[in-house]
Amino acid sequence: MSIALDQVTKRYQEQPVVNDVSIDVGEGEFFVLLGPSGSGKSTLLRAIAGLTGIDHGRISLHGRDVTHVRARDRGVGLVFQNYALFRHMTVADNIEFALRVRRTKAAERRARRKELLKLVSLEGMDERLPGQLSGGQQQRVAVARALAHKPQVLLLDEPFGALDAKIREELRRTIRSVQRELGITTVLVTHDQEEAFALADTIGVMNHGRLLEVGNPSDLYAQPATRFVATFLGAANLLLARQAADGIRFGATPVSAAGAEPMQAGREHEVVAVLRPEEVEIGATRDELTSNYIARGAVEEIVFTGALERLRVRLLDEPCAAQLLGPSGNDDARLEITRTQHERRALPLAQGAQIAIGARRLHVLPTPLSSFLACAATEAEAAELAREPLLESLSTRMKTRVGLRAIDGLTGTPAPFSGVAAISGGTEAASTVEWLLRHGAAEVLVLPRNAPSPTRVYIHWTDEAARRATLAVAASLLRHVSAEAVYLGIVPEGRPGSGRAAPMRALLDARSDAQQHHGLEMRTELAIGETVSELTRNLSAGSAQMLVLGITDITQAGSAYRSLLAGQPGWPVLIVYRPPEARTAPDVVSGTAA
Amino acid sequence: MAGPSTHADAAAELATRPGHTNLRATLVRWLLITVSLTFLGALLAAPLAAVFSMALEKGWAAYFGSFADPDTRASIRLTLTTALIVVPLNTVFGITAAWCIAKFEFRGKSILITLIDLPLAVSPVVSGLIYVLLFGLNGWFGSWLQDHDISIVYALPGIILATMFVTFPYVARELIPLMQQLGNDEEEAAITLGAGGWFTFFRVTLPRIRWGLIYGVILCNARAMGEFGAVSVVSGNVRGLTNTMPLQIESLYNEYNMVGAFAVASLLSLLAVATLVIKTLVEGRAGYRRR
Amino acid sequence: MKSVSQREPSVIPGFGITLGFTTFFLSAIVLLPLSALVLKTAGMDWSRFVEVIASPRALASYRLSFGASLVAAGVNMVFGFALAWTLVRYEFPGRRLVDAIIDMPFALPTAVSGIALTTIFSANGWIGQYLEPYGIHVAYTPIGITVALTLISMPFVVRTVQPALQEVQRDLEDAAETLGAGRFYVFRRIIVPTVLPALLTGFTLAFARAVGEYGSVIFIAGNKAMKTEITPLLIVIRLEEFDYAGAAALGFVMLAISFVMLLAINLLQVWGRKRMMVSR
Repeated sequence: MSIALDQVTKRYQEQPVVNDVSIDVGEGEFFVLLGPSGSGKSTLLRAIAGLTGIDHGRISLHGRDVTHVRARDRGVGLVFQNYALFRHMTVADNIEFALRVRRTKAAERRARRKELLKLVSLEGMDERLPGQLSGGQQQRVAVARALAHKPQVLLLDEPFGALDAKIREELRRTIRSVQRELGITTVLVTHDQEEAFALADTIGVMNHGRLLEVGNPSDLYAQPATRFVATFLGAANLLLARQAADGIRFGATPVSAAGAEPMQAGREHEVVAVLRPEEVEIGATRDELTSNYIARGAVEEIVFTGALERLRVRLLDEPCAAQLLGPSGNDDARLEITRTQHERRALPLAQGAQIAIGARRLHVLPTPLSSFLACAATEAEAAELAREPLLESLSTRMKTRVGLRAIDGLTGTPAPFSGVAAISGGTEAASTVEWLLRHGAAEVLVLPRNAPSPTRVYIHWTDEAARRATLAVAASLLRHVSAEAVYLGIVPEGRPGSGRAAPMRALLDARSDAQQHHGLEMRTELAIGETVSELTRNLSAGSAQMLVLGITDITQAGSAYRSLLAGQPGWPVLIVYRPPEARTAPDVVSGTAA
Repeated sequence: MAGPSTHADAAAELATRPGHTNLRATLVRWLLITVSLTFLGALLAAPLAAVFSMALEKGWAAYFGSFADPDTRASIRLTLTTALIVVPLNTVFGITAAWCIAKFEFRGKSILITLIDLPLAVSPVVSGLIYVLLFGLNGWFGSWLQDHDISIVYALPGIILATMFVTFPYVARELIPLMQQLGNDEEEAAITLGAGGWFTFFRVTLPRIRWGLIYGVILCNARAMGEFGAVSVVSGNVRGLTNTMPLQIESLYNEYNMVGAFAVASLLSLLAVATLVIKTLVEGRAGYRRR
Repeated sequence: MKSVSQREPSVIPGFGITLGFTTFFLSAIVLLPLSALVLKTAGMDWSRFVEVIASPRALASYRLSFGASLVAAGVNMVFGFALAWTLVRYEFPGRRLVDAIIDMPFALPTAVSGIALTTIFSANGWIGQYLEPYGIHVAYTPIGITVALTLISMPFVVRTVQPALQEVQRDLEDAAETLGAGRFYVFRRIIVPTVLPALLTGFTLAFARAVGEYGSVIFIAGNKAMKTEITPLLIVIRLEEFDYAGAAALGFVMLAISFVMLLAINLLQVWGRKRMMVSR
């Protein structure tokens, strides 16, 4: 492995800026770290270069552990966004700098300099000053400079940000060809997904300090595993559907969708499906469609963009079987459709036209948290609960809705619950949780008043049967909060020393399971004592903490964990419930499940 | 957002960098801070402290008593009078020159700018000398003035002229780069809307340059009240008549009247401190960073 | 920076009146008196002129004025740089206060600093008393003159170097680090060359100010002819003797030096701007 990052974490004022990131980059590979600003990608790059220290984890370059090695001894080449050329030195002096530091002989330096100038197509510019060069030329000097000392790894920090579009494309080609010619392992950081697609052999998508998914560009585009990657790598329509025994359904309408997993535990649940704008089929009537019918719609906006036509369509069916998630999860969401000029000529449309909409290709995201449902005694109280800061921030980041439900007096048979039920904390919480779980909710979030966004999330399950579901939910949650993940294994007191081995193995199993099957990097801790008191102790030890608890027995929620849920001032607890009879179906383990 | 953006952020990141030995860095840091502060202390803080300590050496009564001396009072009056005449005149010049230089292009502009900068490079003694050469007894106009019984040198007019020479660049040098930076856009807009020159100046330009103007004026004032060399040459040092405060300090000092000399010095020191305080406030106020 | 084209008449009024007033003012206050100096000198006999400006006493005063100013400016280059570095890169309690105090020599009258420094460095003064036993006499010696000159010219170096240091991109230091350079190498090869123009400009400004300084020096100097007499004092003495011609001759020399200094400063600033040319 050319570059190996193992659980790299960097904190800034208690918040993790880079959160448990592990990557392996192969020899000669072009790896692109893609993410929005503030996702931690630049910090990670600087950590690889040695300009920033890390708080946890290991960095290895070509098999050598360089975590504590100075930047100047790491043998990397770094290209900066603002070039960082030495303005008082000529191009030649800039390029030869690394060699001069190493006291290379003048003749050798000159030869290498000429070689590099040829490589970046800047022959003859030796005696120019940086101030006399254009932006693109300066950047090429920066690349040549970084390669002078034959580094094993080339790092680029948003190198094309400050340039015009045309120059950017040109430079991209230059970088790609230089990289191929030298066969040098390269990591490039960018927020531009077009750039990532153009350059990368492998893309790693980061958000909020976490590495969400890694893969080659076409796989990530066609089969994203997370909401964020689906919407960041290209435009995406997110639809809520239900997973039933016979497949995926929009309301009562069955559709065929890729990526769907068999139903778990015999319970129907809500899922999120991705429909790319270019995969939407439009017809004048339903019969004309050859693909899955979704709904009828009315065209609201038409934009001509040269090669394509973009449409924004309002779904008409009331109530609509396919629920569209808008940017803030509310009800004025519009379906984005892209058509080629060929399709446009086949069916010209004007504003206001009514059409039938079909989906050629749907991809179901294997994410267990689809939406939230705020439940309280009255709808007014539920609305207030929906405005809790943590709930609001989660629903915004997950780009999903928060529904409202009045559950009055815990009586009667309520309509089926979809998504995560959210209730307020307090002394009544435990009984409410029990009632909700009995009536079909699979996850319940207990929210104390004004709970802050957590910086640490504890994970625990009472029974191995709940492990998979708990990890899936925790992984999904942790993609949307900047927090560290810690699995707390608890064993009762009184075990003799030799009895420690089994619990320790269980911890390691849990960690590797989380890593491999859920894309979640988490720490593990072992606590000895009684479950509820240990959980309470750890949660009280710091501020802004949260618990994800997996259970298989509903009564436990009511009795054993009553004190936990009623604690003062309390912590958010996300209860994940899977009835034990789920294990009749064989465990299907897919790729990077979420 | 690439790397750290401010020096403070950069220092924070540097501290976490592998290979960055905290010990050595902290040592260097403390060494530099100590050296700098000692240097400053000896050169700046000590003299200020010495002024007040010497002034109060014989107690508060003696301190206030020195201001009862008629010559000292006369010197204070003279300094204030000079400042009251010189500062407004130089302010008018400064604004006029800045308008001329910042808003128009013409040949010979750089000569004007050099002439404005000149007094800052010329020795104060030479600044006084040139007026003596013009208006002194053996000067160009010397005999003419004597015939008409007008004294310039060794009298108030001479002092005013010499002080003006030394202090006129301050307001102009503050305003010229400021107005150049602000550009002509707003004034042009005002003109097209029908405003006349004076109206434009008072309503559009003046509000935008007011902090720079204040800054220049207080510097000009501090220098005007404190000028020694030029005035010394031109004034003749006649106590009670042509001694400004700095000259009075010299006279008292040469007579070994330490309390008296330092008492007057303490007034000027207070003025200096006030000047610096106002300067800091002005800089903070408008985010105004002097280059 | 917007400016009006030369060919079109400017839409902004006031050109005539402001140019007229400015030229009048400058002629009356600056050009006229200066020309008196120049003409007075020109009217002198050449041999008399040389006799005055090259007299042993005058030569001794040049050596003292220039020598002490050079040393003062040099000392300020080092300590001023250290001060600027400390202010720009480090946070410490009282930093803003220190930043404000730097300008004190601009605001404090020269006579006040003159008598204060003399008092401090005299044999029984606050600092002088510690140096006396070692035979280091500060007051009334060239050393005292140098100390006074260092004080009054210090802000020039600090205030010129400070913005230049502020402008140094940390990126450059990071880049140099990844290319293999140690901290001191970076300082030597990257930082110092970048602020060199500012450093030299500050040095020249400090030197120019120190050479002509009168008020702060006159008290601490002792003013013994041939030993601790600065050139401006020599001019004053000639005037008191009504030797206008002699005073004018010496004044001419000082004026010439001032012009040379102004020229040097301007060239340095142009050089500095060219080096830091940004193409973006």
